Amino acid sequence: MAGRIIVLGEHRDGQLKKTSWEAIGLGRKLSAELGKKVCLALVGSEIDGLAREVSGRSGLEVAVLANHHCRHYTPEGYCEVLVEFARTERPYLLLLGHTYQTMDFAPRLATMLDRGLIPNCVDYRSEAGRLLWVRQVFNGKLNLEVSPQGEPPYLVSLQQGAFPASEENLENSPRVEHRQVGVAEGTLRRKLLEVMEAVQTKVDLSQAEIIVAGGRGLGSKEKFQLILDLAEALGAGVGASRPVTDGGWLPKEHQIGSSGQTVTPRLYIACGISGAIQHLVGMSNSGCIVAINKDPYAPIFQVADYGIVGDVFQVVPKLIEIAREMRP
Amino acid sequence: MRILTCLKQVPERDSRYKLNRDGSGILEQDLVFETNESDLYALEEALRLKEAFGGEVAALSLGPDRVSKVLRNALAMGADRAIHLKGEDFERGDAWVTAHAIAAAIASQDFDLVLTGVQSEDMAFAQTGAVLAQMLGWPCATIVMEIAYEADTRGVQVKRELESNVFERVELPLPAVLTIQSGSHPIRYATLRGIMQAKRKEFRVLTAADLGLPPEALGETAAKVRHHRLLVPEKKKRTMMIEGGAEEAARTLMDKLVNEIGVI
Repeated sequence: MAGRIIVLGEHRDGQLKKTSWEAIGLGRKLSAELGKKVCLALVGSEIDGLAREVSGRSGLEVAVLANHHCRHYTPEGYCEVLVEFARTERPYLLLLGHTYQTMDFAPRLATMLDRGLIPNCVDYRSEAGRLLWVRQVFNGKLNLEVSPQGEPPYLVSLQQGAFPASEENLENSPRVEHRQVGVAEGTLRRKLLEVMEAVQTKVDLSQAEIIVAGGRGLGSKEKFQLILDLAEALGAGVGASRPVTDGGWLPKEHQIGSSGQTVTPRLYIACGISGAIQHLVGMSNSGCIVAINKDPYAPIFQVADYGIVGDVFQVVPKLIEIAREMRP
Repeated sequence: MRILTCLKQVPERDSRYKLNRDGSGILEQDLVFETNESDLYALEEALRLKEAFGGEVAALSLGPDRVSKVLRNALAMGADRAIHLKGEDFERGDAWVTAHAIAAAIASQDFDLVLTGVQSEDMAFAQTGAVLAQMLGWPCATIVMEIAYEADTRGVQVKRELESNVFERVELPLPAVLTIQSGSHPIRYATLRGIMQAKRKEFRVLTAADLGLPPEALGETAAKVRHHRLLVPEKKKRTMMIEGGAEEAARTLMDKLVNEIGVI
């Protein structure tokens, strides 16, 4: 069946990732719009159970690309298997979630297929019979519309949370198809040694009702004290964007975003945070978002309910003062 | 160890962008450019490896005249030589075109390691390093936090970042390409002495013709991904902007949070 839409599922510990369910959702939608069939492909080893479960829940046919060399993820193993699959299957579109794993192997896969990868898309639209994909560029301040050149297969990865996850329906009988895929000895030059949790997460912000978070705009470890003071005055948890933990102003376990925690407090106060995409994916589903930043064009204001364009060193001390006044 | 670091010049983080008339690009005249941050982390790692194990660090960038600032800074920070792939042919390409040009430029140079940042802050395709690795036929690891060189096996062990505070340690033989995540080690500043020394270091400018690349191998014509137009994003939410001085704005905000929506 040539020209299908293939969603490439990512799994860890026997679970399909949420971004893959989002890719399935978009794959279904495009299937209806373009009149092409959609199916899911899974790479791994001993993944029949997962394939049956996902097929049952999604109603999609699942192609199992199993090889014992792919028991653990490696870019070379995955690419070898997927190139072989793409050459026999001849898909129209390969859809992936834009995850750290995708960033690691999908550019290599695209190059092996002599194609380009369109990464981290947030939207698409049809124009003159082709799909234009929308990506965030210039630190999220602008969007760029792009399209793949040449013939299919096209490779597109989707920003986490940008598309709604597929609805699940447990009623389907699983359809699982096994494909023979080989991995030649010597292909896997990069070897996995161990997977580890870096820090004991003593700071669990997932249950916090209020989070006060600070970013690069605070300027230094000493000045970051202001954020701790506001958090204390409001009885809030303390969050940070990546430059803060990179700079050692706060331990890494306070980091919010794609490489840290994902949070949904009732109130999120972002101080001196510009709103890089990697940060927004970790907090944009918060109930009420307040942004305080000196740059009126900072992308954080795109997701904020309330915004103050101003100097955090002027505004935050006032907030601390008022919060302390309110306390019994 | 012979190390190449690839650095990109990008507009400053707080830039305000103005689109050109047809939306195909941005107006550059009011912009200030700097080195892409994660590329500086890559340079820092390269310099540390050289300090520990000897060898050389070359810095490479592509683009117009202004890009030389990135390379001068890299030399001042401690890189030994610079390679500037200069000319309009190197612009308006995609990751494939950029990687193709870099591969051509370093084909005969026997590097052990190519380091670059995880992604650029402007175009954010996050793939030039991995594409380059495939073109060179080398193994690659992306989103690297730590590098340990293993002299006896001639390989590297690296710690990679995965999502949600999970990491993995992988091992790969040299030559290899690594893309470096921000935060690995603090980026050094160029010293006055470094700036003075930089003036005497090798600075090579290469054009597409020097690399034997015909025009159709570069730029928009060769790109696998075509850029159509830039757009100002639509706001996802209606944001209420609170005006006034710091005190007034703080009072208005707290009043709304406490009394109107009751989140405090």
